[in-house]
Amino acid sequence: MSSRLEAEHLYKVFGRREEEAVERLRDGADREELRADGTTAAVIDASFTVDPGQIFVVMGLSGSGKSTLLRMLNGLLAPTAGRVLFDGQDLTALTGRALREVRARKISMVFQHFALFPHRSVLDNAAYGLAVQGVPRPEREERAAEALRLCGLAGWEKSWPDELSGGMQQRVGLARALATDADLLLMDESFSALDPLIRRDMQDQLLTLQQTLKKTIVFITHDLNEAMRLGDRIAVMRDGRIVQTGTAEDILLRPENDYVASFIQDVDRTRVLTAAAVMDAQVRGDEADCGCETATPDTPFTALCALGARLPHPVAVLDGGRGLVGVVPRQRLLRFLGESQGALPAPATPCDRGEKVTARA
Amino acid sequence: MPRLPLGDAVDSGVDWLLAHMSWLFDAVKTLVEGLYDGLDAVLTAPEPLLLAGILAVLAWWLRGLAAGVLAFAGFALIDSLALWDEAMSTLSLVLVATLVALVISIPLGIWAARSQAVSTAVRPVLDLLQTMPSMVLLIPAILFFGMGVPAGVVATLIFALAPGVRMTELGIRQVDAELVEAAEAFGTPPRDTLFRVQLPLALPTVMAGVNQVIMLGLSMVVIAGMVGTGGLGGAVNEAIGQLDIGLGFEAGLGIVVLAIYLDRMTGALGTRISPLGRRAAAKARTTMWTHRPRAAVAAVGVAVLALAAGGLGLAGPKDGPAKASATDVGKGREITIGYIPWDEGIASTYLWKELLEERGFEVTTTQYAAGPLYTGLATGRIDFQTDSWLPTTHAEYWKKYGDQLADLGTWYGPTSLELSVPSYVKDVNSLADLKAHASEFGGRITGIEPSAGMMGLLKDKVLERYGLDGAYRVVDGSTPAMLAELERAYARKEPILVTLWSPHWAYSEYGLKKLKDPAGAWGEGDGVHTVARKDLAADQPEVGAWLKDFSMTEEQLTGLEARIQKAGKGQEQDAVRTWLKEHPGLVEKWVPVPETGEKSRAAG
Repeated sequence: MSSRLEAEHLYKVFGRREEEAVERLRDGADREELRADGTTAAVIDASFTVDPGQIFVVMGLSGSGKSTLLRMLNGLLAPTAGRVLFDGQDLTALTGRALREVRARKISMVFQHFALFPHRSVLDNAAYGLAVQGVPRPEREERAAEALRLCGLAGWEKSWPDELSGGMQQRVGLARALATDADLLLMDESFSALDPLIRRDMQDQLLTLQQTLKKTIVFITHDLNEAMRLGDRIAVMRDGRIVQTGTAEDILLRPENDYVASFIQDVDRTRVLTAAAVMDAQVRGDEADCGCETATPDTPFTALCALGARLPHPVAVLDGGRGLVGVVPRQRLLRFLGESQGALPAPATPCDRGEKVTARA
Repeated sequence: MPRLPLGDAVDSGVDWLLAHMSWLFDAVKTLVEGLYDGLDAVLTAPEPLLLAGILAVLAWWLRGLAAGVLAFAGFALIDSLALWDEAMSTLSLVLVATLVALVISIPLGIWAARSQAVSTAVRPVLDLLQTMPSMVLLIPAILFFGMGVPAGVVATLIFALAPGVRMTELGIRQVDAELVEAAEAFGTPPRDTLFRVQLPLALPTVMAGVNQVIMLGLSMVVIAGMVGTGGLGGAVNEAIGQLDIGLGFEAGLGIVVLAIYLDRMTGALGTRISPLGRRAAAKARTTMWTHRPRAAVAAVGVAVLALAAGGLGLAGPKDGPAKASATDVGKGREITIGYIPWDEGIASTYLWKELLEERGFEVTTTQYAAGPLYTGLATGRIDFQTDSWLPTTHAEYWKKYGDQLADLGTWYGPTSLELSVPSYVKDVNSLADLKAHASEFGGRITGIEPSAGMMGLLKDKVLERYGLDGAYRVVDGSTPAMLAELERAYARKEPILVTLWSPHWAYSEYGLKKLKDPAGAWGEGDGVHTVARKDLAADQPEVGAWLKDFSMTEEQLTGLEARIQKAGKGQEQDAVRTWLKEHPGLVEKWVPVPETGEKSRAAG
């Protein structure tokens, strides 16, 4: 499988004498030294590869350079040094016109504050990228309507952006990005401005869509939970550098340094998580037939751990009408526990440890 | 501190421009004049009430029924004040100035929004244009474009340029950066980003700028009236110059009607053409008064009225054939007389207008301040003026323009300049008495236009000679303001000290004392000269000869002045006609028809 998106030693420096600053960074100078000279190193030596169909999450606090990194991937910002290869093409070597062509056809973007055009209807917003490509109106309206339908906005085509809720507006943003059939989707903190429940909905929707669309996605976030939920692979950024790249499990269980560890440590999710948040909604249907103890969607995480320890198989979750809505395998418990605990030595009976941890917390 | 010769540099810069860039100014002049003439012709062609109807239908379409009704009422009011032609001339002037201003300012604003360097360079220039007193722009405008509409349009548009640039730049810069980034992220070329995203979203702000341009243009109209643009501005100027409160108010009201109409229409137009505004308007509840017809209905309405207007225009009466007679020396040749609103100037100007029209010339009279008047003569835009006080009072102007003018001699003199007090003021009979009575007059000398030669003489020489420098303050103003002040004080029997000159009708109207000038500080009296442009005598030999031979006695002049004063504003020429009837033989004396066969034919 050939690599779709590759970033090779990307640097972005703002300020005077950028080239010289890059040389100094290569020689080991750090951000603070440069800042004293009035230059800002936003991204330092960033390299990664994103395979086709993968969701690659870049996680970091504000000011870590993750948005700058994203904008170098579609050429909105020109890297000071390094290359961006997409589909085997070096984007940094393209002329302005060719680069615009790539952006119009192959890469699209979803923004933090939606960036919908207030003077265009929902349908026209969704069709914007196609209009730039020069697709004739009937075809682009058809494709835009299809994208809106995919994002759950069928029937809203004639509405205007300011008539929609935040979550719906971002669905329009997503539809606009999907309508162009671009292979690469850049998402810049796209769900951060939404309130938590809507954010979760949108994450679910993105995952559902991704199962059929198989886009290559680079997703920027400062939210660890979001990174864990969405990311096939996650890069953690700090002060312009990528400090660790790996799967969610890698980051949770094998943090490469203290910064990543502390990042994970900060989150104690066991107190707020319930079975509904933890469970796997993909069920066979017979998990609750054994007559063992079951949980409800409201069962707290700690109780769930106790259940999981007593049962030899995944805990079944039943709703008020005693219908099966999900299962919680031990591995899932482990994964969520990791968020609150940092490095754990893959224990045989995780729930015992979990209870102690919770008690201590 | 060394004196920086900045003014001299500007002077020579203007001279250089005049010498080397006149082709450019001529081109601009031709363009502006063409636009103005075309628009004015269209606006004055239909019957006033029909055009009012068309404008009302536009208002109805843009804003609703109430706006339409009010617009019609407003324009009908203008028509009923007999200011229709002036109003249409002003409207054309403002629209042309606005059009040119927008053609310059919107692209400049866009450029400034896209380039920080341009923005930085343009800003101080805009500051200069916006805050430089508009009168200062007017004089170079006359030099470059001559008196009349082009100078007025250029001065207006320069004044109105700044908000157009600023608001366009602001509007574009205000567009959410994320939206611009979104457009770029989808591969939009810069030009499309501008036209599809930035400009549509900046439109409300840009339209606010357009609105400001129009409003500033209208406010400049009065000042532009000083360079002979005519219209409502000219009417206001004349009214101010002659302290005609009624006419001033009427013309001012006309400007207000135009201002409100243009303001509301551009505001509504902004809503119409901006997609966001259209949506907001569509949401608003409709009542009968805010009901708007659909565009098609409005277009049909306008078309019907326009056709009706065109039809009436065709059926309307044509001008009668030109009268051919032996006394028709001018044969329709055009003569432009400029005048300062001094009483002997008004009297002699309207006398000559009547005399020349009697001889078949087409005469235009326009009122100016002294500076523009001499500039106009020197550049040949004005043919002659009858009220040059030489050698003293107008010495400054003669020094500057004398070699570009032709002095056609005195027709009245000698004059005298003086300070005068009402006769009820006791114990003050001579300039020498003033020092002891300063407190009685509040230390004030009520003066006239600061540009007048006698004001300079008073401040520089007379006050010093009689040791009045510390005791009195000369209050600059205008002749009408001085006369109004005199009338007010006279009615209340309050002491007042005014600058005055002879001949003047005030001496027959009020009991006044001319203060004696034992030291001769005022100098010898002036003669009232007729001054023409250099080539008038060559181009119009009859007129040149008549003017050269012209003279009036004191009795004739004060009699005519009093007659005009009594007839009131707007009736000057009728007063002249009546006066000439009462004094038969003067016409033949002043404008004799050349001794040729024509005369005998006319007699026979």
